[in-house]
Amino acid sequence: MPTEGQQKLLEELKNSLTRALPEGRITSGDYARTGCHLEVRLSDAGMRRIAMVMKDNRFYLETITAVDFPGSFELIYFYSTCHDDICRVIARIQILKDATPHTVSAVYPGAIWLEREIYDFFGIRFLDHPDLRRLLNPDDADYFPLLKTFGKTKLTEEIDDILC
Amino acid sequence: MLNIKTIDDTSINERVYQLNLGPQHPSTHGVLHLLLKLDGEVVVAAEPIVGYSHRGHEKMAENRIWEQFLPNTSRIDYLSGLIYNQGYCMALEKLCGIEVPERAEYIRVITSELNRISSHLLGIMAFVMDIGAFTPFLYGFDDREHVLDLLERVTGSRLTYCYNRFGGVRNDIDQEFCDGTRRFIARLRGRFKDYHNLITENIIFIKRTRGVGIITEETALEFGVTGPSLRGSGVNYDVRKNEPYSIYPEFDFEIPVRKEGDVMARYQVRMAEMEQSMNIIEQALDNLPQGPVRSHVPRFIDPPAGDIYFAFESARGAVGYYIVSDGTRIPYRIKVRTPSFSNLFVLTRVLPGNFIADAIATLGSIDVVVPEIDR
Repeated sequence: MPTEGQQKLLEELKNSLTRALPEGRITSGDYARTGCHLEVRLSDAGMRRIAMVMKDNRFYLETITAVDFPGSFELIYFYSTCHDDICRVIARIQILKDATPHTVSAVYPGAIWLEREIYDFFGIRFLDHPDLRRLLNPDDADYFPLLKTFGKTKLTEEIDDILC
Repeated sequence: MLNIKTIDDTSINERVYQLNLGPQHPSTHGVLHLLLKLDGEVVVAAEPIVGYSHRGHEKMAENRIWEQFLPNTSRIDYLSGLIYNQGYCMALEKLCGIEVPERAEYIRVITSELNRISSHLLGIMAFVMDIGAFTPFLYGFDDREHVLDLLERVTGSRLTYCYNRFGGVRNDIDQEFCDGTRRFIARLRGRFKDYHNLITENIIFIKRTRGVGIITEETALEFGVTGPSLRGSGVNYDVRKNEPYSIYPEFDFEIPVRKEGDVMARYQVRMAEMEQSMNIIEQALDNLPQGPVRSHVPRFIDPPAGDIYFAFESARGAVGYYIVSDGTRIPYRIKVRTPSFSNLFVLTRVLPGNFIADAIATLGSIDVVVPEIDR
């Protein structure tokens, strides 16, 4: 059950998010099942505005990740508070495979490495990123390891079939 | 406005020279490469270069069944493997709705907290050795040996544990383990006096750490710093308290916080945290319930389609598993949020303007585990 402070925080946050992102879809998350209190679905242009709203509310950026779905990537931003009223907000952005989303590193400098990692593993290029290079893979690598097409051979597909 | 200095910075003139610290260097804690730009003794810019021990755990996860990824988790951060083990099991138990017997939860907390103590002992002592004190390192490793012996007794391994299972733990603990743990706690409490004499009150240590490598609260939040490094900067945030998981709400323990944000503050937080871990273990041993240690779970688990973010506190900070399941026996995506990743990146902001000797102290005080960053 959310505490009183949590509920107040969530209400305030919902209001300021609706003001800043009229086009975004804000839903309450099922914390017991998914571990998040608030879920926001938005378009590419909204990710900087949401980052600014979260920073004003003293949230920190836990991590950013991407998931390779057929036909599109989903970029996922995890924001969380670091005080007693814990509140985790997940912002999801569906982008096309060749899209170049905006960076949030101007708002959260910690995102510089997080976005570099996503570029490194998925090949997603962030617009206006100050330092978009490989991070964990070799500088001269010509592959993006976390794409679902990477490393798939006939043998691995057969193994997958057996396992499933 | 960003003021992070990267290596392409144009403010560099011929007075400035580059120093490659690592990837093989005694004070870099694993294969970490730190590219420093120096003006005399002063650091102008610092750039950590990581990836030397990248093994592709996240890709491996997509090529094996849920159970097979379990041993991988303890190799992400090899110093707090049991905590990562516990977190992965708890995330999947939440996703699948698996019940865990109470005794198993207690055993998980006892082993995880022992693991936290062993990790902090290594972290602190290696850090103290970095800034020139060799003796405490040997004392610390002597104590750590006792923890490893205890954990070896129940888990069968000394470093890369794989003890937690979905729905509980692999095997029960015995009376000898409980007695040994109590003896170890009594012993470590006595040793703390020596540590404070040797390190905390040592004038050289104080001069090397007070007011050095300050991370302000603002910077810490911008960079997503967590764990003892964040609590050393005055933020009272520990996942065990703020977002309780397992049976942590049942224990009476405090979260040590220091306001200074310097190297000394981070050291003091770690020392105090070990004492709190000992309190938790004692309470858990006192209230250890009887019963099974593992609930009945099918040999292969089939989580429903969906996703979950599960956060927990390792020895270095807030860890998060983001798990996407498409309803098959193979994970669709597992993302691990590792604390060292953000904790190391903050050095690009903290180091410039400091002396190179202080840079070593700052790096040691953050207590990074490089395989955790590289994954």
